[in-house]
Amino acid sequence: MTADRPAPAGCRDDRSGPDPGLDSALIGEIEARGLAMTLEEARHLASIVGRRPTPLELHLFDTMWSEHCSYKSSRSQLRTLPTDAPQVVLGPGEDAGVVRLCVHDGVEYDLVIAHESHNHPSQILPVEGAATGIGGIVRDVYCMGADVIGVLDLLRFGDPLGPRGSRTRSIVRGVVEGIWQYANALGVPNLGGDTVFCGSYDDNCLVNVVAVGLARHDWIVHSYVPERARDEEYVLILVGKPTDDTGFGGATFASAVLEEQLGAVQVADPFLKRVLSEANRAVQRLLHERGIEFGFKDLGAGGIACVSSEMAAHSGMGIELDLDRVPVSIEGLPPEVVACAETQERFGLAVPRDIAPDIIGIYNDDYELPRLFPGARAEVVGRFTPDPVYRVTRGAGRDLIAEAPAEAIVAGVSYERPWSEAPGDQSEPAERACDPPADIERMLTGMACCSRSAIWSYYDSEVQGNTMLRPGESDAVVIRPLPGSSVGIAISGDGNPFIGRIDPFQGGAHAVGEAVRNVVATGARPMCATDCLNFGNPEDPSVFWQFRESVRGIAHACECLGLPDVSECEAPLPIVSGNVSFYNQSPGGGPIPPSPIVCVAGRLDDASHARGIGLRSAGSSLLLLGERMDALGGSLYYRECIGHAGGRVPGFDGTLERKMALCVLELLRDLGDDVHACHDISEGGLAVALAEMSLASRSWTCLGAELPDTGRDPVALYSESPGYVLEIAQGRCPEDLPPFARVVGRVVEGLVIRGSGWSVDLESIASGHFDRLASVVWREEGLT
Amino acid sequence: MSGPLVAVLQFPGSNCEYETARAARSQGLDARVVRWNDRSAGIEACDAFILPGGFSFQDRVRAGAVAAKEAVMDAVVRAAGAGKPVLGICNGAQILVESGLVPGWSAGNVEAALAGNMSPGRSGYLSRWIYLLPGQEVAARCPWLSLMEPGQVLPLPIAHAEGRFVFATGGASSRGPQVTALRYCAPDGGDPGGFPWNPNGSCDDAAAISNMEGNVLAMMPHPERAACLWQVPPSLCGPWGDRRRALSGPMEGTGPEGPGATVFAGLANSFGVRVDR
Repeated sequence: MTADRPAPAGCRDDRSGPDPGLDSALIGEIEARGLAMTLEEARHLASIVGRRPTPLELHLFDTMWSEHCSYKSSRSQLRTLPTDAPQVVLGPGEDAGVVRLCVHDGVEYDLVIAHESHNHPSQILPVEGAATGIGGIVRDVYCMGADVIGVLDLLRFGDPLGPRGSRTRSIVRGVVEGIWQYANALGVPNLGGDTVFCGSYDDNCLVNVVAVGLARHDWIVHSYVPERARDEEYVLILVGKPTDDTGFGGATFASAVLEEQLGAVQVADPFLKRVLSEANRAVQRLLHERGIEFGFKDLGAGGIACVSSEMAAHSGMGIELDLDRVPVSIEGLPPEVVACAETQERFGLAVPRDIAPDIIGIYNDDYELPRLFPGARAEVVGRFTPDPVYRVTRGAGRDLIAEAPAEAIVAGVSYERPWSEAPGDQSEPAERACDPPADIERMLTGMACCSRSAIWSYYDSEVQGNTMLRPGESDAVVIRPLPGSSVGIAISGDGNPFIGRIDPFQGGAHAVGEAVRNVVATGARPMCATDCLNFGNPEDPSVFWQFRESVRGIAHACECLGLPDVSECEAPLPIVSGNVSFYNQSPGGGPIPPSPIVCVAGRLDDASHARGIGLRSAGSSLLLLGERMDALGGSLYYRECIGHAGGRVPGFDGTLERKMALCVLELLRDLGDDVHACHDISEGGLAVALAEMSLASRSWTCLGAELPDTGRDPVALYSESPGYVLEIAQGRCPEDLPPFARVVGRVVEGLVIRGSGWSVDLESIASGHFDRLASVVWREEGLT
Repeated sequence: MSGPLVAVLQFPGSNCEYETARAARSQGLDARVVRWNDRSAGIEACDAFILPGGFSFQDRVRAGAVAAKEAVMDAVVRAAGAGKPVLGICNGAQILVESGLVPGWSAGNVEAALAGNMSPGRSGYLSRWIYLLPGQEVAARCPWLSLMEPGQVLPLPIAHAEGRFVFATGGASSRGPQVTALRYCAPDGGDPGGFPWNPNGSCDDAAAISNMEGNVLAMMPHPERAACLWQVPPSLCGPWGDRRRALSGPMEGTGPEGPGATVFAGLANSFGVRVDR
């Protein structure tokens, strides 16, 4: 505390000596305010500020030290993930990761990507929770100076037919509604994502969301005040929705075992976001064209308090925030609520004071924010100071209500959590009956593997006019985000909890492996990955072991799967953004299964080579990459047909994965259009992969597959050991194939899979496959 | 860029303005995105107007209702009255209906509405590709559809929650055919027979309606999302699907045209503009 300033209101200066009543006062505050911080952390805060903390300081640090913001349990493990490669412009640390994409018409473009979770809110208020998930993640990408070119959700729901099925079904409907209502209105194409049903998520659904953006390389904006602010006064402009009390305590809410807390869920407004994104674009264009350096950051967890302290502290500066200047929609809110509420649709902008009126004019006059939403507007709320202290004032007398070293606010806390090995059940079923026609029908029409088209039908996947391959048409959605350029982007997010539950290391590694395969199957070369690590309570040593193992698996797979195109360097696949979501467990139930979810973005130099999964012509060869291993643990076949989880999961073989991926990319390059289709092998193995390729041809022709040599061998048919199937034009399959590749069959007329001595009529299964999800989740609720 | 000047009006909440302008520009039209309240834009001088898709004014009151009352729409109404071509796509179509420009049987009156989708077993938003036939009477006098052949099946995507055309009492039966510019059909051009080929329960299978003069067209499907062949789904049946499946690289620029290009090419054609591709 500087000598010439009064002590914050309501607090006495405490430098004179220890306060015997401090602990009891802190305990009282923690309880009365529902803070998540421990007494130890509260004492640490008191020592930082040198007195009893003010209410605002308590809430600010409670947010900044929450698991959600500080990664206090996970940080030590996250350091082991590879984050650097030649294409990386910006790794984890700011709001989104950035990698170089391409040069078009002499301008260099970057891909911007962010990955978050919105699990707890979606369980309680599915529509609002899922909508806000999209709303939050797109802000992370917008604030890097990018246009958002796509979003995708990775969803994990409970068992819609289980004991809590009714609740689960309403959550599924609500989450899908929240996603479409937000993203469709915002005008951002939905790039699909994935959906897994499993009873272990009954009390804790997972709603992970990824946003991708495109930005000029030289127009990337950082989320802190520029160095120039030491020489020229910079102010903080707050723009967007007027502040209310929604989402107060949201980050803390996400950092504890789930209990009903409706007030912690925010209210999203895609309309306002759309107008803001257009206005932001006009503002940034003006600043770039005038050569003015600026900082830009979205308001998420911790609201104004977090954004202001982080923008200042990351440049080693301070800020003076005048809380009275913050536009509010409710009068009389306590200052800590105004400062820390997570009201949606707000951004913070650090600009020179001289230009502020022009910027405010764009928001308030050109785009008429105050007219479009009552109380919405841009306003100067503070000024950055070379003195690295964070100060908040209010009232006519500019009373200090918070004062702390800015650096201390963002320094965070860190814990080494104890862990103890807790491997999953490793037992295998005694018998493995194999009846392909019945098995394949069961798998294709069960909830685990039935078509997700009912969900996609609500999503606008084509807005912006860049979409080339939609959800379901290929393993990864392909967009061409630069009009006139041949470059395409393929993106997929994956994670298989049935493997992770048995072996979290393999679960982590295969999450990377499958996302890479899905991207590669379209013909794209992976550029970067993101991860969202969804686990139970990290204070439980067995959960923390699962977390450590999963991170180790992801790191290992990323080290193996850097696939550089030009340079021969052995860089890894870099993780450029991510998120950790702990405490996914309910007071009554156990933790969710280890659920690392990995998203991979890849680039196609020429998107015309992008391949879908639909079979194209009878007589083509079916080329299988990847030997089928007897490792059916966690497989769809075991779960659906045997009723057993299994214990022997496929082992991740990084060298083989890498060779297979490079083989696919070479075949696509060398054979071009003679590779008609490509599909990765995942749930249900080769048999289900081929059935999906066949069903994808159904709308315009009917083609199937003949597999002469697989017999009734469940390993050959259903093993989920990683691999690919390619349809290659008749007579065009290369002679000199690598040892992991062989022709296993050919494409035949008719919607059929034929083995030796058996045959499956897919036409009779098709309606069950395509309509099942709607009939369970939507239609049976009597909705019309 | 020279060529006929086309204003693509950006309302608060519009979200298809840029790709719509792009699709128009690729046909030699000088299409510019104009902010709804930009009085310096000189839109009176524009030769044609496009109201793009989106959620203008958050669909408050009804989709399109608030935008229809904005000052800029007075200029559009005047232009339409003077015979200038006006196209509304999706939310733009909703605005044209709410402004009374279509069907326009009695000037200034709202005589149609775009009601919520009606389909069995589901409600709300629906995205899918559908097939369209030009209305016999309208296409010939509508600049936007001037290049369509009678009986030509046009696949385009829809993406909306309120796309069901309904008309003021007595309108549809007698005068409906005179303004039904595009009609949902089966992939082979036959009767759609309800859902899914009539995706929203629209009256008379109407996917687009015009005014009686034909210069104002309100269409629910999105031609701008199908202006290029690569935008077409590879699973589409019919000749456009065959063309898409035969598409091969390398693909610089926008590549071959898709089915939606005809709407923008039709306007360019009505101005005598042709682009060699």
